[in-house]
Amino acid sequence: MKKIFNITIVGMIVLLMAIQSCKKMDIYPKDKVTTGSVANSSDGILNVTNGNYAMFKDVVEFNGFKDDNNCYVRQYFQMSDFAADNIVNGQRTEDPLYYSFTYTHSPSQANARYFWYISYKIINGANTVIDILKGKKNLTPLERQLEGENYFLRAFCTFNLVRFYAKPYNEGDPSSNPGVILRQSASEEAAKARASVKETYAFVLSDLKSAASLMDQSRGKAFASKEAAWAMLSRVYLNEGDYNNTIAYSDSVINSGKFKLETSASFPTYFANALNRDETIWAIAFTPADNRGKFGSIASMLYSDGNSGWGEEFASKSLRDVMSAHLNDVRWDYIDTLHTANGAIAKKNGIEIFYITKFSFQDGDPNLSSPVMFRLAEMYLNRAEAYADKGNVSSALADVNKIRKNRGLQNTLYSSVPAGETVLDVVLNERRIELAFEGFRLWDLLRNHRNIVRDYWGYHIPGLTVSDIDLSHPPTGYPNLVIPWNSPKVQYYIPIDEILANPLCKQNP
Amino acid sequence: MKNVLLVILGFLLVSSGFAQITGKVYDENGKSIPGVTIVVKGKTNGTTTDLNGKYSLNAKKGDILVFSFVGYEKQEIPVKEKKVINVFLKPGVINMKEVVVMGYSNKTKTEISSAVSVVKSAQLKTVTTNDIGKMLQGKVTGVQVISSSGEPGAASQIRIRGVSTIKPGDQSPLYVVDGVIGGNYDPNDVASVTILKGAGATGLYGARANKGVIIITTKTAQQNKPSFEFKITTGMRVADQGHLKMMNGLQFYNTTKELYRDPTTHQIDIIKFYRDFPKELSTRNYNWVGDAFKPAMVQNYYLSANGKKGGFTYYLGGTYYNEGGTFINTGYKRLNLRMNTKYQFSKKVSLRNNINVSNNYGTSYDYMSMYYVYLNLPWDNPYDSTGAPRYVDGKTQGWWSRDHINPLHTLQNTEYNYTGFSFDYDLVFNWNITRWLTFNSANRLSYSTSKSHNFVSPLAAGTYHNKGYINERQDNWKGFITTNLLKFKFQIKKHSIDGLAGVEVNNGYSDFISVEGKGLPVGFDVPAVASSEKNINGTNSEVIFRSVISQVNYNYNKQYFLTASFRADATSNFPPEHRTAYFPSVAASWLITNMHFMKSHSKVNLLKLRLSYGITGDPDIGAGRYMGLFSLNAQYNNYSAAFPYQLQNYNLTWERTGETDIGIDFGMFNRINLTVDIYDNITKNLLVLASQPLSQGFQYRWENGGIVTNKGFEISLGGRIIDKKNFSWLLNINYSKNGNILSGLDKPIISTVGGISQIYRNGAQLYTFLLPKWLGVDTQTGAPLWEKITKDSNGNIIKREPTSNYAEAAPQEVGHALPDFYGGFSTTLRYKNIELYAGFTYQYGNDVYNFVEQFMNSDGHEPYYNYMVPKPGWTRWKKPGDKATMPSMQNNNLSTEPSSRYIEKGSFLKLNSVTISYRFSQKIVKSLRLNGLMLSIEANNVWTWTPYWGQNPEATIRKSDWSMPGVNDFRYPNNKQVVFNVQIKF
Repeated sequence: MKKIFNITIVGMIVLLMAIQSCKKMDIYPKDKVTTGSVANSSDGILNVTNGNYAMFKDVVEFNGFKDDNNCYVRQYFQMSDFAADNIVNGQRTEDPLYYSFTYTHSPSQANARYFWYISYKIINGANTVIDILKGKKNLTPLERQLEGENYFLRAFCTFNLVRFYAKPYNEGDPSSNPGVILRQSASEEAAKARASVKETYAFVLSDLKSAASLMDQSRGKAFASKEAAWAMLSRVYLNEGDYNNTIAYSDSVINSGKFKLETSASFPTYFANALNRDETIWAIAFTPADNRGKFGSIASMLYSDGNSGWGEEFASKSLRDVMSAHLNDVRWDYIDTLHTANGAIAKKNGIEIFYITKFSFQDGDPNLSSPVMFRLAEMYLNRAEAYADKGNVSSALADVNKIRKNRGLQNTLYSSVPAGETVLDVVLNERRIELAFEGFRLWDLLRNHRNIVRDYWGYHIPGLTVSDIDLSHPPTGYPNLVIPWNSPKVQYYIPIDEILANPLCKQNP
Repeated sequence: MKNVLLVILGFLLVSSGFAQITGKVYDENGKSIPGVTIVVKGKTNGTTTDLNGKYSLNAKKGDILVFSFVGYEKQEIPVKEKKVINVFLKPGVINMKEVVVMGYSNKTKTEISSAVSVVKSAQLKTVTTNDIGKMLQGKVTGVQVISSSGEPGAASQIRIRGVSTIKPGDQSPLYVVDGVIGGNYDPNDVASVTILKGAGATGLYGARANKGVIIITTKTAQQNKPSFEFKITTGMRVADQGHLKMMNGLQFYNTTKELYRDPTTHQIDIIKFYRDFPKELSTRNYNWVGDAFKPAMVQNYYLSANGKKGGFTYYLGGTYYNEGGTFINTGYKRLNLRMNTKYQFSKKVSLRNNINVSNNYGTSYDYMSMYYVYLNLPWDNPYDSTGAPRYVDGKTQGWWSRDHINPLHTLQNTEYNYTGFSFDYDLVFNWNITRWLTFNSANRLSYSTSKSHNFVSPLAAGTYHNKGYINERQDNWKGFITTNLLKFKFQIKKHSIDGLAGVEVNNGYSDFISVEGKGLPVGFDVPAVASSEKNINGTNSEVIFRSVISQVNYNYNKQYFLTASFRADATSNFPPEHRTAYFPSVAASWLITNMHFMKSHSKVNLLKLRLSYGITGDPDIGAGRYMGLFSLNAQYNNYSAAFPYQLQNYNLTWERTGETDIGIDFGMFNRINLTVDIYDNITKNLLVLASQPLSQGFQYRWENGGIVTNKGFEISLGGRIIDKKNFSWLLNINYSKNGNILSGLDKPIISTVGGISQIYRNGAQLYTFLLPKWLGVDTQTGAPLWEKITKDSNGNIIKREPTSNYAEAAPQEVGHALPDFYGGFSTTLRYKNIELYAGFTYQYGNDVYNFVEQFMNSDGHEPYYNYMVPKPGWTRWKKPGDKATMPSMQNNNLSTEPSSRYIEKGSFLKLNSVTISYRFSQKIVKSLRLNGLMLSIEANNVWTWTPYWGQNPEATIRKSDWSMPGVNDFRYPNNKQVVFNVQIKF
């Protein structure tokens, strides 16, 4: 009897265990959604679209952790402007931004790797939405808008990639020069070859046209719109050298009536408030919660109130020389000279400190801004350059003057091209000043086959030490003072990660 | 008739001086030992003790009785007047009867057929720490222990028989406390530590055991009488900077002069130098390192009580540990309480309750503070006129150090605290259903919580100046594990069979919540007062394991042993199709000394051959790694946002290791023992983060692929070289060699952290550095030189030449982070009541990347960072023809970029511990009404011999996303300490 009792108890225990063992073992993360369910949930594509914008400003895990340096917009501005002539380096640094100054790029350079990665991550997010909506009939207005925004984002990222990692459209033969990898769907094979520069531009233009035709709603300046797509068409056509289309799309934006140039009075406060201003076409929204502080904001390398940032890169002598003719130009407001206690211009490692403040003071915070990606002034200046290239001097000068009128230079407008300059010189100088630090200068030079001349003291000069610097005369005899526009060093290397994992992808020389 | 014969015999014996001697034989714990052999020396008569340990035999005065028993030292006692001779046998160096805790079961040493090491409490307590790893360092073969951080409360890193995986994350062994996976304990409560190495032993933990298993057994009552122990430890510690010394004002001044060496004349432009750097600077000697590191206290108090009454057994232990930090404002405190009780309800049913409660509190620091303490210049005064650390920011005038940061001021105005609480409750129910069948149910409920508090005052300089910053995070963990086993045991003549079978379920649930904010009023450090930029974060996750466990042990006449185990595991970490895996293992041994033919070789008291093979696994990659995911942990313009997070792989499955082990245990004279093991562990299906083309939008995907082979050889030799009543000398030596090699990878994996790369490729060791090869300094130009390699179209190297262009330098394999061999040795000398112990640990053949040297010896790239005092023999290039090790400061382009320049030999020999102890004689102890009294002085981390020119060659061996094995970053230095112990038993 007792034996039976014992066996029953053991049996029951085993049964209990068996029941517990049948508990469901599928455990889903609580803060994530499976790729499959994006299409099925009501707000899936909206959240993914918003996520694509978020990736421009967020620090996304790379190599397993979040490095504050790794932020799309921070690297976009650093990789373009630090390689040009508007900004001087005042401090040798372990930060890979240094290689943009020194042109000592490598395939394992952290910023160029992250920028490539995050660009394609945004493209993957965009493709996820495009894949879902492409085959779908009877889209709602919101769905059309979102599909359009994602075409726009895919084009924006692809275009920036081709500018950083491939030769300019008008250098050599664009149909044989390698462009970038075109990702057209989220479910593509992993390995894929680079398209040509020409194919890349065609892909971007086609996406932008789809985007412009699909977008009919306005979700605010933090999001893409029909006009943003036109603005980008203007920018892409300018880089491609299609001046008629540049003019046409600039016209579309200017004539849309939705935007207005800031005035001389309002311009000094424009960048701190870009999301609410009439000149803005599209800006990346940073909320106070997105403040990346000293280690990750765009501003932290360009400005410091003593504590807020590193403040190691300054407005270059070359830019200041161009601007020095007109001290009443309100664009000087974005250059902040640091003085020592006795009133002299303060120096860092022998370089005079002219802080740059285009990325500061949203909500008064020195590290916060919502960087502007497209604004109306660019449309006038794209058109001006196109007119200049077409030889239409008066239209070009008119557009330049339109800008100058609103920047405190209403008394020094151009009536003709000054002696010793071409109309293109005039336009490019105006672009240089107006669009300074906003990621334009490098491609303005390359597109126009102009060398990158940095014949001023700064730590772009290899091996420079404080004791070498003598500000009374420009540096001579050093390497790196002039980078030819067609130097292969100008293109960033395709990241080592891509080359190793994608045998079809060829490295830049 | 019988009686008559006896009388006659008795008469004969008495008349010849023979008498009957009786007595009892006890072990070291006062328990009687049955089966002890007693012979009269030189005669043929003898006997053995009965079941109660009693014996009787005839001997005459002057005879010598020899008591012997396997596992105990032989004892010889001359027969005098006394007719009753009671004997206490001392355990031999190898105690074969000793019970070894194997986790799900206990075995005697005789029965073990696999690679197992045991460390007893007394052997552990040679260093004062709260970390069991540091206590094990250098004491056990196959166990590599690295103390890569001296931060109070920091745990050391333990690797058993090498590293068998390439995935990042914790490669620590599986911990089992009191027979149940996981758990908390205090080292003072530990009775013994069992280390399971080969699969023959770890097989029962199959799914989770391929990093080895460490089984912690806490103390229980030893005797009926209540007994108490009180141990006080207190001492001082200082930071161990090793060879690292920063320059003083004059040294740095002279180094800075090199910046002014004219590149053409090679003379220093002294006029220009004095203009820029006034001579007065050379006399400034602010010692940042000296001011940031101060001697600190370490204290440990331990009180315990144990005893038995009726069916009730108890052990109570309490420990308070307080470790001061040598880096100012850091420290760690821990309070641990344990209660182990057991109720024996009847002969058949017992219930064990173990409760462990612990609470810790630590104060940490910000990495950058450590960084600036080393790199700030001796020319800058950290203090203001009142002697308080001075506020410095980017606008401070007359400050020389590069980044205008005063870390001493930061340390005063920041808080990096954490506190943790853990509670573990074990309930073990044991029911002897029949004589051969037992039901055992072991259950543990665990709860732990920890909270971190990071605070930067608005007064601190830096990015939060005038704003302040607070971040608090609370982590909770709940675990439940239940193991239900039926155990059986048969003995049929000379055949013994026992075993177990059952089911285990283990659930773990974790969650966290964190808040941060800025805009704090001065003087307040709680989240409630934050006024701006408030963020919240938090989520939860769960892991489930389900297992079926079984094992059968067979032995024939204690001569031949065979163990076979089988375990099946399922875990929620893998997709449904690949969730379950099976882990068989088998082990056999032959105890030769128990064979008849060995009886005549009495000098050899142990000879055993062991052979085992088994499969173990590793599922530790975290939840949901096989799913395609978008993360909702984002926002854009305050709207919900999701971004691509993970690529799916529904083929993901376990890492599996096949482990083969051959071992010999050998003992002689009951005084010397030798254990040798050879093993070959092959890990397949490595869980790897396989690189994807970044253009897919993903960097990695979890995949299975590649093989790691670890082959090794271990020897441990121990003996009592001298063993006299008043004087003894014990010596232990161990040596472990482990080599590993990768194969089966589709393509090499390169991992880069902080610009330093390591390669994982077929045919290479794990953690192989891949860096440009440094060729020194060009004697003509003073420029740095690296090796340029030219390859032909087939990829064959056709030319190697020096280059001063860093971009041309080819990354090459230039060393590896894992040692070729390691181990330790110890010596214990005892004279009467005084004992002197010295323990050493060593490691050979690993390479260390001296990351800090990139900053501390910047060749002029960073004119406002301090320099380390160079190693004797390092010289700076000054003029053509100089054979120098450090490049010219005028021709230094990219000289401090990552290269093999910073790879150094990491071999070391460390005097880990020296202890002098005095045990008061029983006479004095009794007069004080105590049971024991011991005083000791102990020194830890006394000295390290190493060619490595830095703090400590014990670089981290942890691979994570932010740390690379073998790289010595700015870290908390280890400490040297001297402590005084008083141990009272009553």
